[in-house]
Amino acid sequence: MQERTTARRRTESKAAPPPTPSRRRAVDWSGLLLVAPAVLLVSAFTLYPFAHALYTSTQLSSPLVEARFVGLQNYGDVITSPYFLTAARTTALFTAVAVPVLVVLGVLVAVLLNEPFFGNGFLRAGMLLPWAIPASAAGVIWQWVFLDDSGALNVSLYSLGVIDDYISWLTTPELARMAVVIVFIWTQLPLVSILLLAALQAVPDDLYDAAAVDGASTFGRFRHVTLPGIRPMLVIVTVYEILVALATFDLTYSLTGGGPGTATTLLTYFIWSETFNRLNFGHGAALAVVIALVSLVAIFVILRALPEEALLGEDR
Amino acid sequence: MKRRTLLRRIVIYGAALLLAIFWFGPFVLVAIGSVIPEANLFTFPPKWFADPPFLGNYKYIFTGEIPQTYLQRGAMRSMISEEVRWIPYSMFNSFIAAVTVMFIVLVLGSLASYAYARLRFPGRKGTFLFVLLSRLIPTVALAVPYYAIVQSLGLLNTRWALIGIYTVLTLPFAVLVLTLYFKSIPREIDEAARVEGATPLQNLWYITLPLSLPSLVGAGLFTFMLAYSEFLLALLITNTRIARTLPVTLGSISTNPDVSWGLLMASIMIGSIPTMLLVYPVWRFMVRGLTTGAGR
Repeated sequence: MQERTTARRRTESKAAPPPTPSRRRAVDWSGLLLVAPAVLLVSAFTLYPFAHALYTSTQLSSPLVEARFVGLQNYGDVITSPYFLTAARTTALFTAVAVPVLVVLGVLVAVLLNEPFFGNGFLRAGMLLPWAIPASAAGVIWQWVFLDDSGALNVSLYSLGVIDDYISWLTTPELARMAVVIVFIWTQLPLVSILLLAALQAVPDDLYDAAAVDGASTFGRFRHVTLPGIRPMLVIVTVYEILVALATFDLTYSLTGGGPGTATTLLTYFIWSETFNRLNFGHGAALAVVIALVSLVAIFVILRALPEEALLGEDR
Repeated sequence: MKRRTLLRRIVIYGAALLLAIFWFGPFVLVAIGSVIPEANLFTFPPKWFADPPFLGNYKYIFTGEIPQTYLQRGAMRSMISEEVRWIPYSMFNSFIAAVTVMFIVLVLGSLASYAYARLRFPGRKGTFLFVLLSRLIPTVALAVPYYAIVQSLGLLNTRWALIGIYTVLTLPFAVLVLTLYFKSIPREIDEAARVEGATPLQNLWYITLPLSLPSLVGAGLFTFMLAYSEFLLALLITNTRIARTLPVTLGSISTNPDVSWGLLMASIMIGSIPTMLLVYPVWRFMVRGLTTGAGR
């Protein structure tokens, strides 16, 4: 899609004489003025809080005691704490399971929605609902689905004769983790599918026709035309969803409360409880900085993965 | 090649049905749960549909009239809490904050997006990337500093704090959508007006914005939904009834042991109404533009 666009632009500019390139190149200072409010606001609310977190992370800070400088001790404390290691492992596991499943399902759903069938429009519009409702509500809705004593899932399975007794979905560690992944996919699949569908529709039809002429099977066309065509979007979606998974908070807060035990305590929830339940602001800030750094690495990967000029187009 | 075999149709409709059950099933269950008397909800084996629908939960949230089933004595008495009656006011809070944020974001966003789409100035690419990527730092990492800032400004438990923070959180997305859309408008129109001596602001107001209504509506509604649903910061910043937003109230009553499941389900149904109403316009103006206009 990217190549096609640039190619077309190139031929256009060759056909028409470039309209006074000197004036086009002129620097327009009013641009700075127009972006200033947005940029200043965003910087103020990003850089200052981050600096604040950095500062707090070097302090012994809590509403209960006098603050004092402790250097990197907070970082040492939290990184060596077994709770941190458990939460980090849970987060890594959650991300490693949820994101690939999500992206694969997203591709399948996008392919499905690209087919004409009765109810397609309804499904496309309605699928926004799980993504659009507050995540805290999503957690509660699924709590009801998964409820031990007479939750909807248990009642349905029982009525269908699949199970003889109710299953403790949210109080069995493995099942609770699975539940978190399912609800995460429920809320994120709509966006992923829509973005991939957009990429899918941008793949030129003549490529499919050419592949068909060459005798490619349905799978062959998917493998050699569809997948390469949506690869840039696949990369973007995957990295974006990794960031979303790393930042997941509302969901575990309202679905499992991090439990049973610490089975579904993700790093974000750990930061929360360290800061606001144990009131250790220094530890919380150190953890926040660690998470932010991990995310910055992911952001850097996004930037490298994005095709040059993907966002703003060529410099005009 | 174009022949649709029966098997193919079965696969397509089967997959679509599974998807529909997965996506909409939970909503149906919540709707059912909100109108079943508590006594029938928690029996084993289940007897959900033994009695006609019961609307007492909804009635209580709006009027405070305690349903008969909650007045019974003994073990089957259902739990009830005044907190669920906060739902309508919390929705109002969320709504006010989200609408205000939407307008601020649309104004600041279109100014910036026009510059990014049309003008050449130093720092164009750098600031654009900075604004976009700022959103990728997890909110929880900045939660404590936000709290400290809001506290030092004396704005705890006010809508102002939420409005300020949500503006920053949603602005990057609006800038991205609007910039992409503005760029898709032929720049010749713009240049013609500039030759006639129009300033960038006049160009934006008289030419670009009228041509961008779909994306403005889409970005605006999207902003509204993000602000309406935000949980973590609202949880930190609003404790009192005066400023509490819907997601916080929902989160709180879901952990309140005195709230029965029926009441909780009714609260969720009521709280989801604005979202349900907005899903179609968002789809109409934004997603459809995204899925059909992506080839440009």
